[in-house]
Amino acid sequence: MRIWHLVTVAGLGLARDSSAQTVSVAAQAIPLVTRADPTATRTALNEGYVSQPVVMAHAAWSVLRGVGMYNFEGYTLRRGELSTGGFGEGFVDRRHPHAYVHELLGGVEGTKFGVLASAFVGRGFAPFGSDDPMVRPFEKYPINHHYSQILERVVAIGAVQRGPVIAEVGTFNGDEPLGPGTAPNYGRFGDSWSSRITVLPLAGVELSGSIARVRSPEQRTATGLDQHKSSLVGRYALQTPVSARYALVEWARTNELDRGETITSLSSVLAEGAYCRAGIIVAARAERTERPEEERLDDPFRTPRPSLDLSNLGISRWTAFTLSLSSPAARAGVFSARPFIEVARLHAAAGNPPGIFNPELRYGANWMWMMSVGARLVAGMPHLRMGRYGAALPTADLGTHSAHDGSHNMPGMPDMPSGAHDMPPVAPPAPPPSFQCSL
Amino acid sequence: MQSLTRTLAFAGALALTTLAGCRNDASSPDPGSSGVTSCSGIGIDPQPPKTSPVTLPVLGVGLDTVRYTAEIAVRGNLAYTTTWNVRRVQGNKVNIWDVSGGCPVVVDSLIVNGVITTGDIAISDDGKTLVVATETSNGSIVTYDLTDPRHPQLLTRFITPETSNGVHTAEIGRVNGKLYGFLSIDPGGTGPAHLVIVDLSQPAAPKQVFVKQVGSPYVHDTYQRDGLLFVALWNDGMDIWDIGGGGKGGTPESPVVLGNVKTLGGEVHNVWWYHDASGAKKYAFVGEEGPGSIGSTSRGDIHVVDVSDLTKPREVAFFHTDGAGTHNFSVDEAKGVLYAAYYNGGVRAIDVRGDLGTCPPSQQFFDGPSGLTRCDLRAMGRELGVGLKELNRTVYVWGVQYLNGSLYASDMMNGIWKLGPAK
Repeated sequence: MRIWHLVTVAGLGLARDSSAQTVSVAAQAIPLVTRADPTATRTALNEGYVSQPVVMAHAAWSVLRGVGMYNFEGYTLRRGELSTGGFGEGFVDRRHPHAYVHELLGGVEGTKFGVLASAFVGRGFAPFGSDDPMVRPFEKYPINHHYSQILERVVAIGAVQRGPVIAEVGTFNGDEPLGPGTAPNYGRFGDSWSSRITVLPLAGVELSGSIARVRSPEQRTATGLDQHKSSLVGRYALQTPVSARYALVEWARTNELDRGETITSLSSVLAEGAYCRAGIIVAARAERTERPEEERLDDPFRTPRPSLDLSNLGISRWTAFTLSLSSPAARAGVFSARPFIEVARLHAAAGNPPGIFNPELRYGANWMWMMSVGARLVAGMPHLRMGRYGAALPTADLGTHSAHDGSHNMPGMPDMPSGAHDMPPVAPPAPPPSFQCSL
Repeated sequence: MQSLTRTLAFAGALALTTLAGCRNDASSPDPGSSGVTSCSGIGIDPQPPKTSPVTLPVLGVGLDTVRYTAEIAVRGNLAYTTTWNVRRVQGNKVNIWDVSGGCPVVVDSLIVNGVITTGDIAISDDGKTLVVATETSNGSIVTYDLTDPRHPQLLTRFITPETSNGVHTAEIGRVNGKLYGFLSIDPGGTGPAHLVIVDLSQPAAPKQVFVKQVGSPYVHDTYQRDGLLFVALWNDGMDIWDIGGGGKGGTPESPVVLGNVKTLGGEVHNVWWYHDASGAKKYAFVGEEGPGSIGSTSRGDIHVVDVSDLTKPREVAFFHTDGAGTHNFSVDEAKGVLYAAYYNGGVRAIDVRGDLGTCPPSQQFFDGPSGLTRCDLRAMGRELGVGLKELNRTVYVWGVQYLNGSLYASDMMNGIWKLGPAK
């Protein structure tokens, strides 16, 4: 009920603009049922929740920018969402609820000498890796979420874009959230950094490489293992009048270090794609990701935070195949609802070092199923990209999107400088992103 | 060929003669300062003595492959082992082994309901009380009466808001005649790590007498002896508290901090204050528990701290093993042998007699960042023996206890081993 209220409120505030300023508000929620068979209980579980309930907003006034996203998963996913293989922030085989303040940033953006530049400060994504899974064509997050995104940090990010090249650098606090309502350790702001270079060689194609040095993400007191992260991403998205295509391949590695010496090296490779025609979306994902196994609490879906010491149980290697099918969206004004079904087949095996991880002991099986049925409810125009701000958003004249169609710059915003890639304003708001196409 | 044979024979004889001349007297209390002196005029330090650690003989194993075995406590002919986290079933069990023969044999067991780890275990010095620590949630200590040591009887389970995060270790010891428990509490839902001291003079009715937030981010273990409490504070190093024997008015109810040392690398996990056969109490051995992967890898050195001045303890030596890290200790103080559980490295026996903080330059190690020069016990030839490494099976040794000429080792993967001593 709370979600519907929010959606209603969001709809009322949608896309108000004038020649001097622009404010855009949207909302999203995904009610769904998931069956995981088996999961950490060694049995099959069926659960239902409202996942990814968020309200998001963008604002622009002259060169000033504002971005915000409030995430209600702390209310709707307190126990986490079944996500076999997933892990992070003290959850395992469940996706943790995100911080209430998922994003709240202010910034400036402008063009000088043919260079589009921006600076953002606030809580949000560090410039690293690939787009957040929330804006990708699957409901379930990939296992590699914590290798490929660095989120919910207090960040300061500078970005420049000239021609087909985008460069970003950011600094932030290394500590990851302890829970949805826990404030970051502001005293650690600046102890970590990341940088990403993106090249746009062809229409619809992005290639990016990132590195990050994250201080003790799992120990708020900065006394835990550090992480050196690296990522390579290739992304392709193209929308035509009758169809939309999307593909992403990524490699990510997170090395955990104790006083500068690598203790654990965790890698992931992922490929996913989606095709949309006549409103029907078919998407597929294949992933192989190594996961650190940790001591679990009495609740088999939880691990101690902070961990009780610096030991783990070994490394597991997960192979996951996911298929998703979405029907055309039903629309009523600014509201839309798109039913979907998502099926995943996962395999767990001992990694290197294997430690004491044994999938048969942990799950009772090596192969597992996961199936979800739900609907993506949207009011307004949600983020199209997440994880990039200002000048870091690839512009659309390369054929991928409408102008500034990224997560935090809505298409058609008046008075929005778009630097070297100015496009005519588009009004009314452009269609949803390619993989949510409404054709 | 004959010439070659003669040459080799001569070289061998020369080497043996040289070696014999440089070897320590076996009766020497101090193999580290063996009288070897540097030759002047040539810039080469004396070579460290060559050592060949013996293989500690395995006498038998008591297998448990249903649960992961954790800590061990031995008294008389009985050994008590706890269990950790979840293997086939959760680690809510304490096994009781008859170790009078070569092969330990289970004679009984205890189940603690509602826990997944019975991590630490200790027996009172009078043999009357057994204390078991539980983790993770619903952390507690459970006390048992040992009137019949083969079949302990539950006295009580002691759980308070201060213990509920999980009791990582529970050491017990007597201060001025009264039995106390020293509980290292995990950080977690109810706050950061802290130390709880419990009056166990009535084991059926423990009474909490002291709580203090300590450790960064953990307090992992304590060691109580002669009214001093050594507290392992992870990256805050090791504290020495007066709780009745330090002369500063400290008591278990109101400890007084005497000194602290931050050993290199931090991650201070456990301590043993060594009283040697001559009565000297100069050294404390500190275990560093570095990151590892259970069943596969581990890291962390043994650090030797000179505690001659309790207010200014200082690290003077260390023992490093490539590819493995240390965990709990037991010392045969009469013979001066430190036995260390070394996880995937099995068991290590180290000669700790004599002066550990003095060594020639070739046996020293300089740490640039800290500016600290320490003696390297391995280079000093002090590793006496290695246990369980020769076996063709995976071991991950959590704890050891030396008692009456035998060494007992708890192995997470296999259960309990009985070994012969290093000497």
